[in-house]
Amino acid sequence: MNRFIAAFIALYSVSASAQDTNLHEYLIEGESWKPAATGFDFTDGLCCDEAGNLFFTDVKSGEGIYKIDVESGKTSLALKDLPGISGLQIGPDGRFYACQNKMQRVIAITPEGEVEELLAGIKCNDLVVTKAGCVYVTETPTKQIHLITPEKKHIIADEGSVNRPNGITVSPDERTLIVSDHGGKHVWAWQIADDGTLSAAAPFMTMWLPVGKEEAQGDGATTEKAGRFFVTTALGVQIFDQAGRLSGIIAKPVADGKVVSAEFAGKNHDLLFVAAGDTIYSRKLKVSGYFGQ
Amino acid sequence: MKPAILCLSLALAITSPLLGGPQDDIYTLGPDSQPRADVPQGKVTQMPPWENSKIFPGTTRDWWIYVPAQYDASKPTAVMVFCDGAGFVKPDGSFRAPTVFDNLIHSGEMPVTIGIFIQPGSFPNADAKSKAKPRSNRSFEYDSLSDLYARFLLEEILPAVSKDYNLTTDPDMRAICGNSSGGICAFTVAWERPDEFRKVVSHIGSFTNIRGGHVYPALVRKAEKKPLRVFLQDGSNDLDNQFGNWPLANQDMAASLKYAGYDYKFILGQGTHNPKHGGSMFPDTLRWLWRSEK
Repeated sequence: MNRFIAAFIALYSVSASAQDTNLHEYLIEGESWKPAATGFDFTDGLCCDEAGNLFFTDVKSGEGIYKIDVESGKTSLALKDLPGISGLQIGPDGRFYACQNKMQRVIAITPEGEVEELLAGIKCNDLVVTKAGCVYVTETPTKQIHLITPEKKHIIADEGSVNRPNGITVSPDERTLIVSDHGGKHVWAWQIADDGTLSAAAPFMTMWLPVGKEEAQGDGATTEKAGRFFVTTALGVQIFDQAGRLSGIIAKPVADGKVVSAEFAGKNHDLLFVAAGDTIYSRKLKVSGYFGQ
Repeated sequence: MKPAILCLSLALAITSPLLGGPQDDIYTLGPDSQPRADVPQGKVTQMPPWENSKIFPGTTRDWWIYVPAQYDASKPTAVMVFCDGAGFVKPDGSFRAPTVFDNLIHSGEMPVTIGIFIQPGSFPNADAKSKAKPRSNRSFEYDSLSDLYARFLLEEILPAVSKDYNLTTDPDMRAICGNSSGGICAFTVAWERPDEFRKVVSHIGSFTNIRGGHVYPALVRKAEKKPLRVFLQDGSNDLDNQFGNWPLANQDMAASLKYAGYDYKFILGQGTHNPKHGGSMFPDTLRWLWRSEK
């Protein structure tokens, strides 16, 4: 019995250990979610540029690609006549890469608005573009991950591993691709070969489930500079460390609302933005994003 | 990305047992952990990296085999597997398992036993020149509550070793040992396959919620008792973090094993998340683990 008491006393004298990668390491006390843009229908497709501007779409009723200016914080329509985009990122060539879900195609768009169709006839959901120029696209209903190589060759990179493949991102060394399952509890990981093809599919990370549910509703995903993955889910933004361990859950801006997309932006890329229905929210973190830096 | 920071944080996350505190200094190795001139030494062989795992596709891992001097190919031989094997097989490490085996096999305090020391898998970088650290599969392999790691041993490693050595198939003569996540992995292997592995040694075991392992105390209480022998060690200054509290979790495990009537032993010292305490008592742990009386 004495041993147990001794253990208790010792416990409370122990400070945070080197293994901690918990919420305290990236949340700032007193800095909570703030609305950044509102008045939309269903915001999605968050991405950033190098300067820290945030871009997003309104899948249901948007006219194109919207921008939250890094300096003024004002929202404007950056590119029009591009409705129904659900996934968006700026590629190494400076073009937007987009899942134009409504038109069932993957496109690239120059800053001036010139559109190139990369892949048609695809119920695309979300995408990520690597520095090597490989475009990976999730197609939720077919359980497929598509790869469009820099030579514009189309490869079905995975089929059937993920029940409802949705959010997608890469590790900072761009050797690991991860995809969240909207219809399960895992975030899957693959190795990326030199030619961009995928191997070693594994349910590397496990999302926390809402009580009584079997689906975590894994959705948009992004990467922190140090290699943690931020994945939007039914419970909030779930964070996984480099070892694939769930290390924290950031609460949703609206308790009974949704978060479907996440990205770091702002001057130092330390503002985490989320798409939460009609509103984009942001909050300042102690850590910064991988993309655009 | 700053690779140096990434590497450092990975190293801290994975190898932090190596960073001890002053509370660990009281734990030192005794005479049973030192080579003796009058004791025949077994042979440690580093095997070619295990690269074609079907259970953990895409991974590579280092591993070693220890074969005692007393090994007799005509007799089925006991087996002990070590998770994070590199640390256990190291001649100047905290455990020096080959030396302890030599001494205890010689004195008849443990059976002639082949040691298999296995590192966790990692995914090699496609670009050999890349300085980025390969992604570690350790947490996935060790912290997951599933039969995958047991199957990896039973379908891949043991058949490979059996090609060259006469290994027992008696589950009572098969043991598995690990530290931290390797500790819960050792328990999971026996818990999932008590028909194959029945002896468990866990030091500073992660019976916490890294990937759901905190449920074991509850499961042990409600599940039909399994024929396992379980040794647990922890320190009162072990981790308290987002995954849980190690000393409490190990006390909870011990209380559950006691409640359910298991053949178990629990030693709670004062150490941190460090292998020194487990290493210092390792010869006695093996004596207890391999004792013939019930």
